[in-house]
Amino acid sequence: MRLTGAEILMECLLEQEVDTIFGYPGGTILYVYDALVKYKGRIHHYLTAHEQGASHAADGYARSTGKVGVAFSTSGPGATNLTTGVATAYMDSSPVVFISCNVAESLIGKDSFQEVDSTGVMLPITKCTFQISDVNKLADTVRRAFAIARSGRPGPVFIDILKNVTAETAEYEFVPKSEHKKSGMLDALYNRNMADLHKPSVDEEDIDKLIEMIGESEKPMLICGGGVVRGRAHKEYNEFLNLMDAPSAITVMGGGGMNGRNPLATGMIGMHGSQASNIAVNECDLLIAVGCRFSDRVALDPESFASQAKIVHIDIDRSEINKNIATDHHIVGDAKEVLRMLNSRLSQQDHTEWKKFVFSYPTETIYDEGGDTLNPKQVCDTIARMVPDDTIVATDVGQHQMWAIQHFHFDYPGQLLTSGGFGTMGFGLGAAIGAKAGNPDKAVIHIAGDGSFRMNCNELATVQHYGLPIITFVFDNQTLGMVRQWQNLIYKKNFSETNMDRGPDFVKLADAYGLRGRRVTNQKELAEAIEEAMSCGEGYVIDCMIDIDEMVRPMVGGGSHITDFMKL
Amino acid sequence: MKGIFSVLVENKDGVLSAVSGLFARRGFNIDTLAVGETDNREISSMTITSTGDQRTIDQIEKQLNKNVDVIKVRRLSDTKSVCLEMMLIKVAYNLSNRTPLIEFCQLMGAKVMKVAPKYLLIEYHAEPENVEDFIKVMKGYGIIEIQRTGTIAMEK
Repeated sequence: MRLTGAEILMECLLEQEVDTIFGYPGGTILYVYDALVKYKGRIHHYLTAHEQGASHAADGYARSTGKVGVAFSTSGPGATNLTTGVATAYMDSSPVVFISCNVAESLIGKDSFQEVDSTGVMLPITKCTFQISDVNKLADTVRRAFAIARSGRPGPVFIDILKNVTAETAEYEFVPKSEHKKSGMLDALYNRNMADLHKPSVDEEDIDKLIEMIGESEKPMLICGGGVVRGRAHKEYNEFLNLMDAPSAITVMGGGGMNGRNPLATGMIGMHGSQASNIAVNECDLLIAVGCRFSDRVALDPESFASQAKIVHIDIDRSEINKNIATDHHIVGDAKEVLRMLNSRLSQQDHTEWKKFVFSYPTETIYDEGGDTLNPKQVCDTIARMVPDDTIVATDVGQHQMWAIQHFHFDYPGQLLTSGGFGTMGFGLGAAIGAKAGNPDKAVIHIAGDGSFRMNCNELATVQHYGLPIITFVFDNQTLGMVRQWQNLIYKKNFSETNMDRGPDFVKLADAYGLRGRRVTNQKELAEAIEEAMSCGEGYVIDCMIDIDEMVRPMVGGGSHITDFMKL
Repeated sequence: MKGIFSVLVENKDGVLSAVSGLFARRGFNIDTLAVGETDNREISSMTITSTGDQRTIDQIEKQLNKNVDVIKVRRLSDTKSVCLEMMLIKVAYNLSNRTPLIEFCQLMGAKVMKVAPKYLLIEYHAEPENVEDFIKVMKGYGIIEIQRTGTIAMEK
């Protein structure tokens, strides 16, 4: 069948079972948007307000569904507007294929209108990039890009198609997804021992050694990281956790990797980790970390981190082993497979004494219940009480993000969508849009701070246009709360440029976008607003007023010993 | 410690920048980098030498292995492989030191490629250490210009 490049691209997306795309058109990608009309009904395109919104939406779609997300942009500023979203997906290992078109081959390298070396720009923030200048290689390259995005440790891949390629024609033959491994360049790639395309085969001896170490341990501690979420290994992790009868913390990325209501859960670990988590890591004699990369927000001081423990690292990416933390034992493999193997060999453990010790420390921060004003925990608790248990929570970045992870319970992969690695303010609304597009039957809420919400609130237009019933909760403290917290604690209360005592009025803003909103100052108003938001069936903004000096507690300073809690 | 990597890569646009970018982004040193086609035109071979602690050298190998365009990474030990570097060097001379300079070149197996009125253009290839030593001696005469290929290496 002879098709244009643009049509071949659409066919390739159908091969991948892609039915949802987020994007924004422009000069160089017009042939693709032209073809999109022909595929209406099979491929749904969400037009966002900004390419960054599209990039986060594709990412949120991928994280919440486990499928590969797709975003489109035009050349030049279209492509560079994607970059923040690309880097966000890269740092959190989210499988997204970003597709952009560039100027025609005759114009490449001539500083043409809206030309940028987009593959060069994307190089350090993707698993790999492709520029397609030959229409005959288009299908093969798209197949390759999807395979790379989803396999091994997942991540974003960027494809840049020259405009003339989208107009030129080539023979296209449908190849089912299951046959891709045997076709074209992928065949060669699979035959190669490429670390990021294969699931590493797990070494049985490594498993046996860990079982032995578990047998010798009296005070084991677990960390559930993003790899459990990405590998959808929550069932296996829960089973492992119960067999281990050991406390388990989550990292920011690990939320949803285990049952958050399990009595063995100690909550988050690290800079804003609970006392129970941080003290357990410091006191344990065996630390088993699954799919976590010991970032500087978790292993604050790599030298003293878990210094009494033998550290065991389970990860799909070999390069993570001994990268940030020197380990005593490691298992390279997919979380699900490794945990299954462990579960089949592990007998029921009993650590009553050790648990008693760990859980004598709080797993959650207690706030003063002073009157009827709103504090972060009250906001979270009221939300959690009123929305369905399986509600998907997309957050922005800052204090509200930490509060949400501290006080909500996440039970399955994709329930928490948050920018953990890159810390992208403005991630949440786009991610919520992607999540709702991919999970129409689930409730989706967006937790924002007033600073983060200002960044990409333009996506309320997308929420309104597509009738997506996403509730945005703005933790409004009239400041960049997390930065102010650091200024409060470390920069001698020199509140340089963090005041947000300015517009817009978020309720009026919602109104301007054709949505409803309400400002709330106490729990009663909050509950009423949630009630109204849930029944209205469309997007809704709830502006929750909290105190400007509210802090995320506990806190351990960067680079400090993990139990060195600051006095707040 | 020193790390010597022999890396087979796809011979196409952007691969060199992907590999060098990886070193830059992760804060790894590149001491030398030599690239050339293999007998298969679709595959290039790179020899990269780097200095760092054990963990850094291990990381370099693992990170290289993650690159889609990298076909094979081999870590070479300097005792079990042949390492060579080639150099062109212009060295100033005068009538009084010309003879000892030429004798030294002969002793080391370096070739005088051109005799100009004020300098000799010398070609020298040897193990990287010897190249360093050769340069030290040439400094005594006065180096005008120097071009080095970087190390290439192969397992014995």
